[in-house]
Amino acid sequence: MPGKLIYCALLANFLCIHSVWPQKISWSHSETSSSELELFHSIHVISLPTAETLQKGDVEFEISHRFTPPVKKGYDAFWGLDGPANIRFGLSYAPSNRMIICLGRSNVTNNLDLQVRYKAFQLQNDVFPLLATINLNAAWNSSVDDRPNGDARNFQYAAQVILNTLLFKKLGFGFVPSYLYNSDIFTEDIKYSITMGSYVQYYIARFWSVMLEWNPTFYGWRNRYNALSMGLEIETGGHFFKVFVTNNININLSQYLTGADKKFGANSLRLGFMITRLF
Amino acid sequence: MFRSILILLLVITNLFGGEYQVDKSQKNIVKFISHAPLDNFEGVTDKIDGYIYWEGTDLTKTSEMYFEVDLNSIDTGIGLRNRHMREHYLETDKYPLTYFKGKIISSEVTGEGIFSVQAEGTIFIHGVEKPLLTTGTIEKENDGYNIRTKFVVKLSDFKIEIPSIMFYKINENMDLQLDFFIKNAADK
Repeated sequence: MPGKLIYCALLANFLCIHSVWPQKISWSHSETSSSELELFHSIHVISLPTAETLQKGDVEFEISHRFTPPVKKGYDAFWGLDGPANIRFGLSYAPSNRMIICLGRSNVTNNLDLQVRYKAFQLQNDVFPLLATINLNAAWNSSVDDRPNGDARNFQYAAQVILNTLLFKKLGFGFVPSYLYNSDIFTEDIKYSITMGSYVQYYIARFWSVMLEWNPTFYGWRNRYNALSMGLEIETGGHFFKVFVTNNININLSQYLTGADKKFGANSLRLGFMITRLF
Repeated sequence: MFRSILILLLVITNLFGGEYQVDKSQKNIVKFISHAPLDNFEGVTDKIDGYIYWEGTDLTKTSEMYFEVDLNSIDTGIGLRNRHMREHYLETDKYPLTYFKGKIISSEVTGEGIFSVQAEGTIFIHGVEKPLLTTGTIEKENDGYNIRTKFVVKLSDFKIEIPSIMFYKINENMDLQLDFFIKNAADK
């Protein structure tokens, strides 16, 4: 008798579980995945960073030039492209979707810099999306005349808060308050600078945009003028090509934040470019 | 007598269909492959979901299937390219899913627990629905089945614009390869 009960139970189980008869579909949709908030397309504007980070595992190689002769010299200096030029190479890696570690080198006093950028806050909405990122920078001017390479005054440190928004999916605004310690490595006493960088980038088409970047010194030491740059950006599946004019030919962050040597104007504009490649 | 009935049911129900849903605990793979002159790339995701249902032992009898892929999850290996795919081409804010819905129209046993099948239905990509006839295999795998299929979609058929700027050529035809697992809905 107990055996028959077991068989009956198993039989009932099969009839219930297996679809011997037509049944209603029980499957239902699940939520689709959402991605990180992305506003600016590149992690750089011209010399200032955007609040964007890379996708985890991405590597970005950067080469940038700022040509010393002004554009005004015309054909004789090939509008400045004959050089000389300040040159930067940079290599960035994203250990997570929210962090970038970047190592760069400029030929100006052999400035080596290490930057760590972390996307700290994002506000997703259609009207006023907001990204906030922190950027920390340590730079070593490893070749300064009449001074040992390891001298403490050869080191500079910077911190930035990067605030970005993108309106109508086309018009990007950025505000980048920055603090730089040891702004002028050649003075006796240690200087510092506080700048209030800002930029705007307008995405004209899918792959084309124009940008304007301004970095006024708000407090502390400054080279002669505030930095102003403007240019054009073209992007592809893995590249950014940026061409611009600027009055500031300093290229690594700790050098750029100190300001420009010439006033922004037709006589002093210099050409620059940046090419980045993502892997 | 009961023993005989039970054995008979065991045999019969093993052949009967039912509702099978995508087993998300398995290693499901959906690949979008572009063969371009300068930049071959693959977009990969495991975010496939859906079901297949059939009655009885005949896969073609009253069968029904629906499978969808979450396009926001496609990873081409470069974040910027993923973003371009999402924002410029697939417009995933408007069309976050691609799906195929249809039925099995022919089935042939090609090995032990292996069926070669043909399915017809419609595929939806980028707001456009098109008829699709495709072949694939359904293979018994532990408690469920492994489904494999591949086919080609022409991007212009789905109003997906092909970028034409330098360094960014995408082939007009994109290969889709699916390799995923299903298991009985009752076991989920």
